Amino acid sequence: MRNDTHRDGTEREWRRTGRRRFLGLLSGLGAAGLALPFPSVARGPRERDLKEADFYRPHDLAG
Amino acid sequence: MREVTCELCPRACVIPEGGAGDCRVRVNLGGKLRATTYGRPSAIHIDPMEKKPLYHFRPGSPVFSIATAGCNLHCLNCQNWQLSQRGGEEMETLYRADPPDLIKAAREEGCRSIAYTYSDPIVFYEYVYDSSELAHREGLANVFITAGYINRKPLRKLCRVLDAANVDLKAFDEDFYRRVSDASLRPVLDALVTLREEGVWLEVTNLLIPTLNDDLAMIRRMVRWLRDELGEGTPLHFSRFQPQYRMRNLPPTPAEALDRARREALDGGLKYVYIGNIPGHEGGSTYCPTDGTRLIGRTGFWITENRLTADGRCPTCNEEIPGVWE
Repeated sequence: MRNDTHRDGTEREWRRTGRRRFLGLLSGLGAAGLALPFPSVARGPRERDLKEADFYRPHDLAG
Repeated sequence: MREVTCELCPRACVIPEGGAGDCRVRVNLGGKLRATTYGRPSAIHIDPMEKKPLYHFRPGSPVFSIATAGCNLHCLNCQNWQLSQRGGEEMETLYRADPPDLIKAAREEGCRSIAYTYSDPIVFYEYVYDSSELAHREGLANVFITAGYINRKPLRKLCRVLDAANVDLKAFDEDFYRRVSDASLRPVLDALVTLREEGVWLEVTNLLIPTLNDDLAMIRRMVRWLRDELGEGTPLHFSRFQPQYRMRNLPPTPAEALDRARREALDGGLKYVYIGNIPGHEGGSTYCPTDGTRLIGRTGFWITENRLTADGRCPTCNEEIPGVWE
């Protein structure tokens, strides 16, 4: 059970420190989240690349 | 613009970025040509080998048959036009089957051969090659049913993994190829010679269309070429035309026209000449060229009798019949 009659400067300081820590933790989590790759659409079925054909060449002749 | 030139078939399509070749299924994406139907067949069936038609290759055996959309020919009388004259994106059915899936399915269905067929498998060349290579490793045979409109270099490479082919020689006439198929005859003849040189078991089909390619003088020239270039033991199938697609104005081929063509070919020196698409016709069976014994009797695609010896000979006169009889 809390004893409010003994509230003083030390207790206020303790509360500020607690809030700073909590906010620091939140911002740390936020930064870490941003650093992760964007959660992707890649979770569902994904179409493969189309197979490259044999027997062709770039058409680089004039005309 | 990063255009590419496709070197697979004699059309030599110059394809702009984002465009497709004449076959609809080989597409230029970012300067690279992509085979869009690789691993995406639209037809999968189990057929008798006789339906291909191959009469001298594993007779009576079931063959796992696949095709994708697209074709490099545009024949007015195409009988598979719903498949061949469309791109993959237009297909009602598009399966997903990579080469290992195909081989596994063929085995599960009890097939010892895989046929690349229906449309022209030239347009899904890479899929055919990879599947065939794997099929060989697994002890399955590969058969290629084609119009033969392909360049020599890719065909030679493909021959490494093919066991049998049936080439649809549409006519022995450049003008016919131009008007009916939007193609040309010469590359098809070259393909036939290449398949023979490479030791692929080869049979030839000629669909006889009334008034367009049933001229006996032309058939005589064709038979002479087949006999001299491919050999007298090359089976030739004269097949009956049925009006369809963009050629509904002509009647089905009369049986007499097929009989005349068959007689012309036998007289011209070919030993195994067949008539197709007339179930029960005597021309659907295999006879010994020496003594006339009926060796394999057929009704439609079904074998009613097989008197060949285990090593492929006539039981009466011991004549060796060319083919793959295992």
